[in-house]
This record gives sequence, structure tokens and C-alpha cells, in this order.
Amino acid sequence: MKQVVKTISKKDFSSFVNSLIKDGMYEVVGVIAKGKRYVFDTLSSADQLQLHYDVTILPPKKYFLPQYEQLLKFSLEKPFEAKPASDDTQRIIIGVHPYDIIALEQTDHHYLDEQQDTFYKKRRENTVIIGTDIQNVSERSFAGSMKTNVTDTGFDLLLTDIGTSYAVTIGSEKGTKLLKKYATVKDASPADLKKVEKIRQTVLKKYKQNVKVDKKDWSALLVANYQHAIWEEHADVCLECSSCTMVCPTCFCYDVKDDVSLNLKDGTRVRTWDGCMLKEFTKVGSGEVFREDIKERYRHRFFRKGNYLPERYGFVACVGCGRCGSACLPDIADPCNLINELAHFSSSKNTGRYFIRGETDVLEKGIIHVPRSATIKKITQFNETDSFFEIELDDKKPLGHKPGQFVEISVFGFGEAPFGISSPPGDNPAFEIMVRQVGNVTKKLCLMKPGDKVGVRGPLGNGFDVASFEGKTLLFTSGGTGMVPMRSLINHVLDPRQREKFKEVIILYGAKRPKEITFMDDVDKWKKVPNVQCELTVDRCDPSECWGGCTGLITTLFPKIQADKLDSKNTIAVVIGPPVMYKFVIKCLQTLGIPDENIYVSLERRMKCGVAKCGHCQINGVYVCKEGPVFNYGQLKELPEAFE
Amino acid sequence: MKTKPRVAVFDFADCEGCELQIANLEEEILDLISFVDVVSFREVMKEHSDDYDIAIVEGSIMRPIDEERLRKIRTHAKILIALGACATIGGVNKIRNQWMPEDVKKEVYGDADLKGNKLFDVFLTKALNEVVPVDYYIHGCPIDRDEFKSVITAIALGKKPEIPRYPVCVECKKQENICQFELGNFCLGPITRAGCKAICPTNNSPCEGCRGLIKKAETECVKEVLERYNLTYEDVRRRCTMYNYGRKECSYDE
Repeated sequence: MKQVVKTISKKDFSSFVNSLIKDGMYEVVGVIAKGKRYVFDTLSSADQLQLHYDVTILPPKKYFLPQYEQLLKFSLEKPFEAKPASDDTQRIIIGVHPYDIIALEQTDHHYLDEQQDTFYKKRRENTVIIGTDIQNVSERSFAGSMKTNVTDTGFDLLLTDIGTSYAVTIGSEKGTKLLKKYATVKDASPADLKKVEKIRQTVLKKYKQNVKVDKKDWSALLVANYQHAIWEEHADVCLECSSCTMVCPTCFCYDVKDDVSLNLKDGTRVRTWDGCMLKEFTKVGSGEVFREDIKERYRHRFFRKGNYLPERYGFVACVGCGRCGSACLPDIADPCNLINELAHFSSSKNTGRYFIRGETDVLEKGIIHVPRSATIKKITQFNETDSFFEIELDDKKPLGHKPGQFVEISVFGFGEAPFGISSPPGDNPAFEIMVRQVGNVTKKLCLMKPGDKVGVRGPLGNGFDVASFEGKTLLFTSGGTGMVPMRSLINHVLDPRQREKFKEVIILYGAKRPKEITFMDDVDKWKKVPNVQCELTVDRCDPSECWGGCTGLITTLFPKIQADKLDSKNTIAVVIGPPVMYKFVIKCLQTLGIPDENIYVSLERRMKCGVAKCGHCQINGVYVCKEGPVFNYGQLKELPEAFE
Repeated sequence: MKTKPRVAVFDFADCEGCELQIANLEEEILDLISFVDVVSFREVMKEHSDDYDIAIVEGSIMRPIDEERLRKIRTHAKILIALGACATIGGVNKIRNQWMPEDVKKEVYGDADLKGNKLFDVFLTKALNEVVPVDYYIHGCPIDRDEFKSVITAIALGKKPEIPRYPVCVECKKQENICQFELGNFCLGPITRAGCKAICPTNNSPCEGCRGLIKKAETECVKEVLERYNLTYEDVRRRCTMYNYGRKECSYDE
């Protein structure tokens, strides 16, 4: 598309900026000096603008995903009150370089996908981007070789310094209107356009850093070198400070915390930047850390840029700004250096390996960060740590979940935690979860009483496609709390209205100790249903404990399966349990001759946002909260991080 | 109505600056005393009581008589909170541990006869948790008022306070500071616990490590950085003397 280009004299441009400031309708932000570096900050005068800058310390993402951002205001006094925060600031950002404009367009793919982030969206809509062509190249930038040094899209206006005036490329209707209202411009002459082209060509030659591998080939190169020694070599000198992700324009993972006012009456739910290089990033309530080794986290960051997001969205999530390279004290963060180092090694033909395509239902509009009000109906204590909760949505609508889905439960002031849904789908507005006391949210829940209010977001995740199990023999294996979501599935298929759609049902249920077999009432019911075999085991049992069943690991139950009932090719196996269990159980299933494609698992990771945004639950390129938690083993086995 | 938890504030070897940070909450103190009863706080009030639930303790333990007093406080308090670097990690008081207590005494008091005077009977400086179990830590020299508020409100609500376990760099980057190393300074931010909003680098001063180290200084990554900036382990050791003399990295719960 041929874009309209105008020119504006530098003097008129200053008046333009000053009248924008004076008008007061917008917060006018521009690039200003900070010591020898540059930052985006609010302008009080056009004189402060430093449009010849090389790079800013932080990218303009801070205006769309602020470092600390209020999501909700909640009350601790009222039974349930949560109001979404609102930021109506109209803002103009002057001087955004093309690579940062491209990074914002990339962030749009993530935050404005089918599950839109309303806060981000509003800020995007309320912001005018006045870009500027690069005049000075920063020491570490390699945007030239990434082809992110210029852009035709993503801006409302784009300035190019052509001497005594700026060429102004118009990128949107918003840009046209702004010029019309506040500026005096002329049409650009063919000579002006030539100057623009020439400046871009000249600047391109100034890059000292150039990546030797075309960005479309990064994915293949990374996949082929997943196990390369380079990850460990570099990670050995990594400070684990996550400076690289903080300064990155394409890093957009976040954490959420509840801040309580000193009056203990109200508080705010705050979103803040998080970094995948930090160990706590993947830590779940039970204390387990996924990607515990810094080598794995170091590799994850590059794979996210070069393989995971390219597979998901079709672009390399690095724009060559060079900020991470200059922020990293041991200097191991620069993708340009890393890719150039890897360039000597072979590439793979198979690039999608660490990605699984999968979709989930989109939450109702506006609900992405705002929980719905719900009431605790009943609490049954199972043992010292585990209690079973019945929760009803206050709008009296059924949750509308599938077996295998989960919810995020909020206790204001304490935070939010994910729980697998234990009740089967149905018309009942109440649903059931099990709460194990491991963190602040779960401990508080266990102190609450029927009638108390909680917040609910969900159902989240994909859940089981039960219709595809019809006509099959079903083998359910669960260990410990894995029975919580499994119970939803079992009670669904054993429902008299459903039962005849499935053949034999075999249930294997194990726990560490007899007291952790928490669903004995259900077991007794299941045993009475025709053509159901139900076998139980505990790892160990003290003489003082009453246990008539088998002792030993869950795998000891497999020989008890009545083999004649198991047509392995026509059997669907579902496995849910602690991470350590999967490897052994899957081996047993394979021994029984069940094909990998017939095995389904449900995995636990740190599900925080539940809508594939915050990044904590990733297994390689897969968001467990979106593409999972239910996975087909045939697909999942390709992901090295799934069972490590 | 539920009775409010009773809070007492105590100090040992310190400058009382962290207590002053509490006093500096000013009108917000009204919020604070709406859910706690302050029964002892020498810096701001005359009254004193030995009947308290929560003890907030500032300062380092320097002498047997301090140790005895702290143990007594511990037996009274259900919850003991270490307030500020002197209490949490020993802080500046540990600088003295470079020399033997007797030599220090001699250096300061010369030949004065201090025999049998318990006030001058000193041993090597200790942080509180080297004497008694500590339940919660409010780090820093001085403490950050916002962090004090978040720890106190967490305890009041019955939740575990969330103290960062990542380095100052994370917060420093969010503040959009120019890296102290880039300015030619030597900063302990990369190995120091965050939670201070990177206040020192934000005000043009390198981090001195007052919130405790979260990474050993003797690691490959630190060595790599030191070499790049022409520094040695000796420089790190000297730098850590200010707040972290003789200390390794903080344990997970500190």
C-alpha cells in the first residue's frame, strides 16, 4: 500500500508537540535523555525530545503493560466486592523506533488474541504512536539483520529526519486527524521521499552487530540443538537476575499479587513483570519447581523467542534492539551472539516439535481478570491437609465445565489459586474442588466457613473430549490428588444417562497412605456399577491404620486388570497423578499394548492467569492452561519438558 | 469483639532508624493501631508491658546480656519479627567481627578497667536468628516502609509474607535506572535480595547488600562479571564487609 507522506519543518514540529502538550487532552510522552542514556518519559516541552537517540533503557511496553499495574480493587469488609481498575489516559508516544513498533504488534498477537486482555486493549486504543526512523544505531542492536530497522505498519505517524524538516509517513486515520488538528504540513516531494529512502539505507550500514542466520531459520536451528552443550556453558555464568527479560520489548510474562491496605479494609490486585529466568517463575503451591536448572531456564528464553512463539504466531519474538545484550553483565543474553554461535551447527527439518496446537473456549467477555462471586456451600475435611469444598456461583448458573477443566479461586487479600474441578458436568450451579493446604490461598480457604464468599474464574483449560471415548473400554489410573479431576470424568461416564455409551471401565486408584484415599464413598458406588473394575493401593500402611486393600505403588495394580476385558487397541487410558507417576504408569500401559494416541494425561503446572498470558505454566512452547491440562500422550511425548 | 494482638517493639545494637521508619508512617499509624495494640515501643512511648503477642526486634546481639534479654523476649512472644539489617543479618555490627572482641575493646577503651562490667562484656556480633528462632524478616538498612506494611498486614491476615527471593536487578530494571556497572560503579545488586525497589541505584548509589545475599559471591557467574569489570573476589569481600561480613547467602526462609 502506498502511504501518504507529508513534511513538516522542525520548527513547526516543535510547535506541533508543544500544542499537543498545551492542549492537555493527551499525556505526551517522548524520548528524553537520562544521563548518557535515553528513556521514554512525559514531556513538558518539545525541547526535551531527543529523536536522534540510539535506544531507550526500557521499551515503550511500560505504557501498555506497566511495571506495576492495578487490575482490581477489592474490599475485605464486604462479603464480595471486586471492581476492575480503569485507566482512561489518552497518550501520545513520540519517537518509537521501528523495532519497538514491531514488538508492540507482536504483543498484540498475544494480548489481543481470542482471549483479549481488556486492560491492554484499552491502553492500545487510547495511545497514538508517533514513530521515528532510526538515525543512530546502538552498540548492541542487530535490527538491520532482523529486518526490524524499518516498518510500514504499527504507527499512526512516522517521522524521518531529512535535514531541516521531518518527513511524516501517515499510518492511520488517527494520525491524519492529529496532523489536521495540530500541525502545519506540506505534501512530500519526490526528492523528500528519496531522502527518506537514502537515510534508511545509510543507517542500515551502521550496524556493527549482524545475525548470520535468517530469522525464519532460527526455529530449525534451535530445535536441532536443543541438547547442545552451549546452554549449560552459558548458563554456568548466568546471574539469574532476569535483567534480559525485564528490558525486552517482546517479553510479556507477568505475576499477580494482592496488596492489602494498612487499614485491612481494602486492597488491590496488582500485575507486575515477571521473568522466566527467575527460579520462582514456575514454582507451584506444593513447592515443586519446573525448569529448576538455570540451564533449562536459559534455554527456555531463547526457545520462546526462536521456536515457541514463531510456531504459535509465525514471528520470531526478537526484534534485535540489543537491550538484553547491554543489560546482561556476563554478556550471555544477546540472541545475536547465541544464534551466530549456533550457526556453525546443523539445522533440523522438523521445527514444530515443541508445540501442540489446541484451543479452549473463551471466557465470557470482560471476565479475564475479574472473578465472579460465589458462595462456599459445604466443607468436608478429609484429613489434616485436605478438605473438599462445594461452591456455588451466586448467579446460580451452572459452571458449564467439562471433566478435566479447572477454576481459579480468589480469596481477596490472599490471591488466587488453580483447582481441578472434581464434580461431573451438569445443571447444578454448585461444583466441587479439593483444597490441599500448601500456600496462602489454600490455608485461608480451609479457615473459611460455609456462607463465605470467594471469587471464581473459569472453567479454564481444555478438559476431556468425552465424546471421543464413546464405544471404548476406559482405563483410569490416578494417584493421590490426581483423583480429584479424575472423579469428575469417572462420575460423568458412570452416570446412568451416559454409561451405555462406554464399554468396560477399569479404575486404578493409589495414594501414599490410607487416609489419602479420599474418595472412598465414590469408590463404593463405582464398585456397584456393572462392568466396572476398581482396584486400590497405598504406598505404605502403618499397623495402626485400617486398610484392607493392596499395598505397593500404583503399578502393582496393573497385573490385576482382567486382561480378557481389555481390547488394547480399543481402550482409552487416562492417567492423572503426581509428576513422578507418569513415566512408570505409561510404561505399564504400553506393555498392555495401548497405543500412545489412546493415552490421555492431565498435567499440573503453575497455572496463574488461566488464559495463556502470564507464561508460568509453559511446557516448552505449550500453555498448559490453554492447550491443556489434558494432553494426548502421543503428542505430548514430543515435549522434553513434559515429564522431566 | 476479638481482642487485638499486642505488639512490642524492642532494640539492641542499632541506630533505631528502622523503628523510626515505623514512626515515620505518621498518620498511617492510626490504621496500624486499629488492628494491633502497641504495648511497648521505647522510641515513641513511655508505657511498657511484658504481655505481648508479637515482638518486633531491631538490632544485633553483641553481649551475653543481650542474648539473655532476647531469649526472654522470645519466651513472651508468639511471633518474633526481625526488623532491619542489624537484626536480620547482623548488618554493620558484624564489621566488628573482623577482629576479636578483646582487641576491639582494647582499641576503643584502651586500658580502662572494665573487668566484671557486664555492659562491656562483648562477644562476636550475632543476628537474631543465631540466638533464637525468628518467624519473619523485614530486611533492609533501613527497612522499606511499604514492605513493613505488607509484612504486618500479611501477619494480621494470617498469611505468609511474600519476601522476594530474586535480586535487586529485577526492581532496578523496572525503575529504568542506568546500570551502576555501566556508570563505572561496583554494585551488589545482582546478588542481593530485592524488595527495596532498588532505592540506592535509583538514587545514584550502588547497592551495598543490606537485604542479604541470595547468591554466593564465590560462583562462576560472579567471577565472570568481576573479570569483565576488572574486579577481584577481594573487592567483593571488601564490599560485602559493610553488611554481610562472614555471611554466606541467606537461607531460603530468611
